[in-house]
Amino acid sequence: MSMASCDILRRSRHLERVESVTAETTVRHVDQLDTETLDAFYRALTADRPVSEADVDLEPGEVIVFTDYYRVART
Amino acid sequence: MTQYVIIGDGISGSSAAETLREEDPDAKITVITDEGEPLYNRILIKEHAKGKLPEAPISIHEEEWYEERDIELSLDTHVTSVDTDENVVHTHDSGDIPYDKLLVATGGTPTQLPVDNSDADGIHHFWTFQDARGIRESAEAADNAVVVGAGLLGIDFAAVCGAQGVDGKYLMRGDRWWRYALSGEGAEIMHEGMRDVGVEPVFDSGVDHFETDDDGAVTAAVDPNGDRYDCDFAGVAIGLTFNTEFLRGAGLEQDNGILVDEYMQTNVDDIYAAGDITRFYDVLLGEQAQNGSWGSAKEQGRVAAVNMAADAEEEEFQWVSSYSITHFDFPFLSFGHPTLGDEHAERKYSDTEWRRVAFKDGKIVGGVLIGDLSPQSKFKQLMRNQRVVADQAEVLLEKQVDLDNLAPEQEQ
Repeated sequence: MSMASCDILRRSRHLERVESVTAETTVRHVDQLDTETLDAFYRALTADRPVSEADVDLEPGEVIVFTDYYRVART
Repeated sequence: MTQYVIIGDGISGSSAAETLREEDPDAKITVITDEGEPLYNRILIKEHAKGKLPEAPISIHEEEWYEERDIELSLDTHVTSVDTDENVVHTHDSGDIPYDKLLVATGGTPTQLPVDNSDADGIHHFWTFQDARGIRESAEAADNAVVVGAGLLGIDFAAVCGAQGVDGKYLMRGDRWWRYALSGEGAEIMHEGMRDVGVEPVFDSGVDHFETDDDGAVTAAVDPNGDRYDCDFAGVAIGLTFNTEFLRGAGLEQDNGILVDEYMQTNVDDIYAAGDITRFYDVLLGEQAQNGSWGSAKEQGRVAAVNMAADAEEEEFQWVSSYSITHFDFPFLSFGHPTLGDEHAERKYSDTEWRRVAFKDGKIVGGVLIGDLSPQSKFKQLMRNQRVVADQAEVLLEKQVDLDNLAPEQEQ
């Protein structure tokens, strides 16, 4: 694996379904995402693949409310 | 030093306050709200009512947020009137507050059903965080529910019933949910979603009156057909009444909302409005419109503040809104103005997938996506670009939308 692709992986996000959230968790509803981030979020969910950090306004650790709750995680 | 006063601390008012501080570092900024807590996430309060989300993540601003920005926050403050000759806001018990420029961002209050016993205990309306707390507590103790209001707000009550394990009847006046935007095929997907969570839609119904016990608590809803539905919980969401009573005599032009131009200016000098309360000039639609989405309200507040600070028509409001329903196994997204326009195209793809695109003068002005959100950014892009595409609706209804399949744009 090249250094460049390692870098992209390190800077990408994936989604993990969670059953509940704690009081300390940052939570956003999917309607708070801009159009491009919503697009990337939806693609990540339906294609089950990570998205590049550069493409999205998603912070590691935050939970996005969609049809389930999804935690944004570093890949 | 310019004095800005913002009435309302929802997302539009708060967004305006933040922008004004950035644009005018030396200004005096006052935010007045009749609520007892600073800005919270109004989209997420339904998750709290469902019992899924604790309170803390719903709060957005602490009082310190305002202090750090030298913004004066006046909680629990009721505005009684606005003197537009003297440029003064009168409050019930917090004195008079002078302004150079005023932003009205007071939103609305849920409309009560005009039927007997509509104020009985156990009958809820859903707008504030405090409402959500009461709904959560009441739904947790309830066995049977009735939901009234076949629109985007009413369906939240159905979701609360489903999440809290309350058997629900969703009484609708017509033959389907959100009949202004969905055909029978699209609506049926939503009806199945309701049934899956334990809420049964009842069509050609509604509420004629509520029945109560000796303590004044709701026991049943009776529809205009005489059918009786036992309930110890009722959710009513038939619309909003805009909070404009304090503007009586102020001379602001209103038409089911405060009329503003694309710069968020009212017809009265130095008074702007933003958020749900506005009937704004939508530059993409080419006419006055309303929108209750979070993103639209936030952007209206920001644009109003930019123009207030510039004391000029610096930036116009141009926005394609989104409103999602995330209560079911499948996603639902409405964008723009799906109930407006002069023609539309729609298609059903499966038992959980349906799409509708609304056009005006051949351009996309809104739509609804159920089950598959993949074309949302493409449709919004076409809407922003005001491209004439109604004559190529087939391309837009393909399962996988490829904008390259559209015929090249004609030179105007």
